Amino acid sequence: MMKQSIVVVKNLRKLYDGKPAVDGISFEVKEGEIFGILGPNGAGKTTTLECLETLRAIDGGSATIAGIDVEKDPQAIKRLIGVQPQSPAFQDKTKLKEVIELFAAAYGEKVDAMKFLDDVELGEKANAYVEQLSGGQKQRLSITTALVHGPKVFFLDEPTTGLDPQARRHLWELIEDIRKKGVSVIMTTHYMDEAEILCDRIAVMDAGKIVALDTPKNLIKNLLKKGFTKEQHVEQANLEDVFIDLTGKALRD
Amino acid sequence: MQLPRSLYTVAVFTKISSRRFFRDRLSIFFGILFPLIFLFVFGGIFGKSSGTSFHLALINDSKSPVATQFVESLKKQKSLKIDVNQYSLDDATQKMVRSQLDAAVVLPKDFGNVVDGQQLPTGQAKVYYTQNNAQAGQTLSAILGGVFQSMNRALTGAAEPFTVKGEQVNKNSLTQFDYTFAGLLGFSLLGIGIFGPINVFPELKKQGILRRLSTTPLRVWQYFTSTAISQCFIGLISIAIMFGVAATVFDLKVMGNVFVLAAFIIFGIVQILGIGLAIGGWAKNERQAAPLSNIIVFPMMFLSGTFFPRFLMPQFLQTISNYLPLTPVIDGIRYIVNEGYTLGQLGPQLLLMAAWTIVVYFVAFRLFRWE
Repeated sequence: MMKQSIVVVKNLRKLYDGKPAVDGISFEVKEGEIFGILGPNGAGKTTTLECLETLRAIDGGSATIAGIDVEKDPQAIKRLIGVQPQSPAFQDKTKLKEVIELFAAAYGEKVDAMKFLDDVELGEKANAYVEQLSGGQKQRLSITTALVHGPKVFFLDEPTTGLDPQARRHLWELIEDIRKKGVSVIMTTHYMDEAEILCDRIAVMDAGKIVALDTPKNLIKNLLKKGFTKEQHVEQANLEDVFIDLTGKALRD
Repeated sequence: MQLPRSLYTVAVFTKISSRRFFRDRLSIFFGILFPLIFLFVFGGIFGKSSGTSFHLALINDSKSPVATQFVESLKKQKSLKIDVNQYSLDDATQKMVRSQLDAAVVLPKDFGNVVDGQQLPTGQAKVYYTQNNAQAGQTLSAILGGVFQSMNRALTGAAEPFTVKGEQVNKNSLTQFDYTFAGLLGFSLLGIGIFGPINVFPELKKQGILRRLSTTPLRVWQYFTSTAISQCFIGLISIAIMFGVAATVFDLKVMGNVFVLAAFIIFGIVQILGIGLAIGGWAKNERQAAPLSNIIVFPMMFLSGTFFPRFLMPQFLQTISNYLPLTPVIDGIRYIVNEGYTLGQLGPQLLLMAAWTIVVYFVAFRLFRWE
């Protein structure tokens, strides 16, 4: 059985000073899918996310999440989505468990903060202040705050930028776990390996338009069909494999 | 009893932002200690008025018992601070030029001696004063005249048909400190209500913290309300400490009801905070917030009676300052503290504050930006 589409975007347009940042794009994201948006800087990836996250007004076309129009009922949309910003920040002098309490309260809910901290291996730090966290720990805290209300769609904007290989791999596992709970994930990234490993389908954006949309395998297959060849290297490992072999997979914070 | 969901949100935000305040040394310094420093500075200047109105040097060159008696009776005058034989006349004149002394009194060598052919001692005290201190000099001459008169009377035993006696009638007249204190409270309200949000909000925007919150269902009114409650809570603590210090160290007397005062101050904080929320909520960064807040805060700081009494201003400035948001707050605090007014007697102040509250919150809600 085909899974239902939870996010439906049709001809979405967003103008900045009269110039289109997002120029009539359409795509659908299915339930429990990890959907990647790739593209160079300025392609419109972040703007697309921001329109879906109710942060930006939509200038043309439409977007719905679980059948609800993003433009018409942003308040209802906010209850359905979780948002991980590019560089997560928290007010200092706040304890980790208070951060969870705070975000849950923003949805009018009371949750077991420890459970959400344990989910991202931050249980031991429950009483630490946010300013004592490393970059990777902040990312994980931010992810768990975005899940306190049980969203249906989870947006991540370049989640692994600036993380070390261990923290990246750990984050990939986390994102996989979130998907296993039935949450749809929409993420942007600059890392092709990340997109290839994580994403079920990928939209490649350039200059505000989607120039390709398919599974990673099909995208590669299509390129090869066009007669693309690359100098053949038969390497059984790459430098990252060496790095992980030397330093281990365990998370460093 | 269970709070409605939307109020539960407000409660949690209030609780955590109040806790954060007390964990941050810098915010405790600026919120609580900084106003106290001002209190001690101004209390030191205006507090504990000793009643001294003249500071004079007395140069006694005479060794007669009458001269000694005169010096003693002069020392009993409450309004005089006297340095006896501490300087030469030249030194004293220097000090008068520098306004460190108001006048110098010299008792010459022959003061109080019995001149040949007379039965009673005689003498003439000389009062020196500079041009600037003419009034002080004349008043002093009159005081000395009074002292001599009673000495003369004691010597001659003659009855005086006409006398004058001064008597104090108004027991509760304001000391300068009482007056200054309400202004200081007004100043610290500016700190709590305006400098807090205009420093914090642009920083939260820069880090994207407010933006992240805006992807949750959190409403602006919930955010404002929790900010207002925690600022009132912190403000009341800070102000209570100021009152405690003013009462114990500087003998401040609160005539009015403490609960009336607290309620009035809470209203004042809420009103002034509206201005801070409007500026901080609108500004995208510190560069926008700083100049705007200066334009708005400085007139209030100088015209609303914080540091300078309004009655000293020219009429047109008084008229303008009558309508500034901080003026009714300071006036009201002054009326409650110094004259024991109840809320019912503060109609004009409360009305003006209510009008400003509506205006500033209307603007604040209109201009608020999450990023």
